[in-house]
Amino acid sequence: METLSNLAMGFSTALTFYTLILAIIGCFVGTIIGALPGLGPSNGVALLIPISFSMGLDAISALVLLTSVYYGAMYGGRISSILLNIPGDEPAMMTTLDGYPMARQGKAAEALVVSGVASFVGALLATIGLMIFAPYLARVAYQFGPAEYFALYMLAFCTLGGIGSSNQAKAAMAAAIGLGIAMIGLDKTTGMPRFTFGELHLMDGVDFLVAIVGLFAVAEVFFFIESHGKDSAIGVKLGKILVPWKMLRQTTGAMLRGTGIGFVAGVLPGAGASLGSFLAYMGEKSIAKDKSTFGKGNPKGVAAPEAGNNAAAGGALVPMLTLGVPGSGTTAVLLALLLTLNITPGPLLFAERPEVVWSLIASLLVANVVLLLMNVPMVKIFVKILSVPAWVLLPGVTMIAFVGIYSLTGSSFDMLMMVGFGVLGYVMRKLNIPTVPVILGILLGNAMEDNLRRAMVLSNGDFWYLLSSPIAVGLWIAAILGFVAPIFLRRLLKKPPVPTHDPSLNED
Amino acid sequence: MIKGDRIFGAFMLVVALGYILSARGIETSFMSDPVGPRVFPYMVAGVVILCSLVMILRPDPDEEWPAGPMLLQLGIALVALAAYAEAITPLGFLIPTAVVSGILSWQIGGNPGRSVVAGLGLAVGLFVLFRVILGLGLRGLPAGWGF
Amino acid sequence: MKQWTRAAAAALLMTVAVPATAAECIAPANPGGGWDFTCRQIGRIMTELGLVPNMVQVTNLAGAGGGVAYTQVVSNRSEDPEVFVAASSSTTTRLAQNAFAGATADEVRWVGSIGGDPGVIVVAQDSPYQNLTDLVEAVKADPSSVAFAGGSAVGGFDHLKVLRMLDASGFEDLRQVKYIGLDGGADAITQTVGGFAQAMTGDLSEITGFIKSGDVRPIAVLSEERAEGFEDVPTAKEQGIDTVSMNWRGIYVPKDISDERYQEWVDMLQQVGESEEWQQVMTENGLEPYSVFGEDFQTFVNEDIAETQEISREIGLIQ
Repeated sequence: METLSNLAMGFSTALTFYTLILAIIGCFVGTIIGALPGLGPSNGVALLIPISFSMGLDAISALVLLTSVYYGAMYGGRISSILLNIPGDEPAMMTTLDGYPMARQGKAAEALVVSGVASFVGALLATIGLMIFAPYLARVAYQFGPAEYFALYMLAFCTLGGIGSSNQAKAAMAAAIGLGIAMIGLDKTTGMPRFTFGELHLMDGVDFLVAIVGLFAVAEVFFFIESHGKDSAIGVKLGKILVPWKMLRQTTGAMLRGTGIGFVAGVLPGAGASLGSFLAYMGEKSIAKDKSTFGKGNPKGVAAPEAGNNAAAGGALVPMLTLGVPGSGTTAVLLALLLTLNITPGPLLFAERPEVVWSLIASLLVANVVLLLMNVPMVKIFVKILSVPAWVLLPGVTMIAFVGIYSLTGSSFDMLMMVGFGVLGYVMRKLNIPTVPVILGILLGNAMEDNLRRAMVLSNGDFWYLLSSPIAVGLWIAAILGFVAPIFLRRLLKKPPVPTHDPSLNED
Repeated sequence: MIKGDRIFGAFMLVVALGYILSARGIETSFMSDPVGPRVFPYMVAGVVILCSLVMILRPDPDEEWPAGPMLLQLGIALVALAAYAEAITPLGFLIPTAVVSGILSWQIGGNPGRSVVAGLGLAVGLFVLFRVILGLGLRGLPAGWGF
Repeated sequence: MKQWTRAAAAALLMTVAVPATAAECIAPANPGGGWDFTCRQIGRIMTELGLVPNMVQVTNLAGAGGGVAYTQVVSNRSEDPEVFVAASSSTTTRLAQNAFAGATADEVRWVGSIGGDPGVIVVAQDSPYQNLTDLVEAVKADPSSVAFAGGSAVGGFDHLKVLRMLDASGFEDLRQVKYIGLDGGADAITQTVGGFAQAMTGDLSEITGFIKSGDVRPIAVLSEERAEGFEDVPTAKEQGIDTVSMNWRGIYVPKDISDERYQEWVDMLQQVGESEEWQQVMTENGLEPYSVFGEDFQTFVNEDIAETQEISREIGLIQ
């Protein structure tokens, strides 16, 4: 009951004309961002954070706008997967497996509708799950002291690194690079500068937005130059859109199962939407009677992963809001957003800033409905936008990235640093080193160190204190498993064929 | 011969050692903090060293790296972006944006004619978007030229 | 946040160009914090009372815990008669610890304080400590058995409250006191409720909600008199420990303005402090009256800084 009255309060904020307009704009922009190859949800949200600040939006409006973009991008990712066999973002990768064959059989419209509805079901149920589980987890969070938080951060890094990469050492390296960058600036406890080399611009540390935009957006430019825009999408054709009721009925089960699996995968810190859609697809395939048709245009193979990745996007908000530990790359960017808005996620967020939490949840629900309406009848508009050539799109995105950072900081130093991060992102991706752990490291590094130091104050320097409670021990075990297990599982569970263009870049 | 991973590993190894060296110089004058401001950086550098060694000793197969003309292309893009970062403050938004997005467009699309159009179009279009629609405080032209 | 700093700096630069007819209040922090609150409330009341011709413009200039604004005012605007800056105990604490890049308190003129947020010490509901004496005895018996949590970093005002209190109680070895600094009072409360810290210090206004909800139990308020609304919570003084830690809310102005202008600021602030509107703001936000003006306030600031320096030196925070 309390949930419902809270939700009513949330709706009273989220349903004003102004926020509704923002949500619609966010959904529209988000869908485009998701659909365009090379511009994933992390990218999209990261680019828009600085701009929404410069526009002077208040906290709730900014939150509504950017979460709409986030969900919109999750919807949009499927469009280019189905039509071009190019996933708009990594979670949409699984959708290419059956979506593209459907399109080639002349069932592109059906595939788009089924995947749109599946996205809606997944996202809607996951948002409801968020409403139910988040307050519960927020209460458990009182049991989290410095040692437990330290273990939780370890878990996030380990699972993200373990699952997100094919090489544990490279994932760990990426996380350590991020943590190392986070140390730059004044040490909060002693007030002494660390790794600033006397550079005044580094005193306040490296801004995570600079790093995010550099690693994601600027690095993308280098890749497109290298490929000469080969993957740019030109000349997409699509027939009349009708709702295939029969196909929707057939795939209901797949959508619900995909949602369940995706939500759980999303709640695990570090796992995220890619894992959600992967597991949802594999799960659906393994229980299906018509296994052999998977990969050849089975609508269930479209419905399950789409429901899965959207549900995971919702699930990933649970640990992010209650514990301040993001479950994926995009939630890491959303965490960056909250921190910039002076909203500290954590157990007290639900008690102290209920208006923020519940209007966020309400706006997610609103965004879902808007997105369903946009993505089923209006999908043709987005298909048109897909035909914007890369030689216009990429320079445009780059300039938006620069203006975003410039309008916030007004400093050439930060823009140069952003270009530097772009080079780093290019090299790392060339070497198959995941970039999301870097972001997570920059975001969480100081909190992780603070908690370690607090734990040591409490224990008078005894490192065993880090393993002094059942929660901490459990988290450490999960962390080690999450890091080590994929090494063995990888041999058993062969990854599905990777599509031609590998966009692991905007991994979610 | 696998190079990429080994070179990066060796590079990060050096960076990590430098990091440790730099961390040794962090001032600690502290009372109730048994860990101090150096320990965590040491731990991070330790992880980097470990991972670097793994990358050097057990490298993954190389990706295809750009060579020759492509490297030059990427170099040009890098210089253009860096120059943009420096130029936007003194020269305003329009001129650097038209030039740099034109260069990038040419590098991606390979057609000089339409790149000029793309550069000019983006400069004006984005300026209208940012300045007029979103209302950001962005200067269009070099200081003193109006806008 | 850094980007806010820059945004604010940019905003500041733009406003410099505007003819300086409007009074401006610099809040040395992001919107939403205590300094921002001080600026907005004082600015609003000044306008409502007709003390200034136009709206008071609030500029957020965050960075280095107020250091950016401080050095900005000292070096660039030391003759600006229209600017005033929000300040609080954290400002003087940082000045005392030389955290403003060598700036000292005599480089600006301190106008006054018109309200204060009393410090308070709370324990978890099920804590064995019933009063301040219990807690202090426990620290004296074994300093490592009691960890204090607070919303400021080590050496910050919340930490100093604990140290001042223990210093006043006759506890010698202040270096042994365990303190963990968290991001704000709310986090510190969570750690105390969860049993990771044994006691917590903060400003009364940020803890009010948790006291009323019964999560934590206040054992002492660090003010001269019992606080309004919390008449059943004894002061530290009543419990035999002579210590007062008020997080005062006040303003300073640049040094090189004329004496007449300084006096005008003092008069204006005094009128704000005595106004109905301010009384209402204080009740709504859990502030207590704490009025010190002009020369008295300058003296108060100097004494406060001297005391902080002494304790900071004792614990090795400064040389």
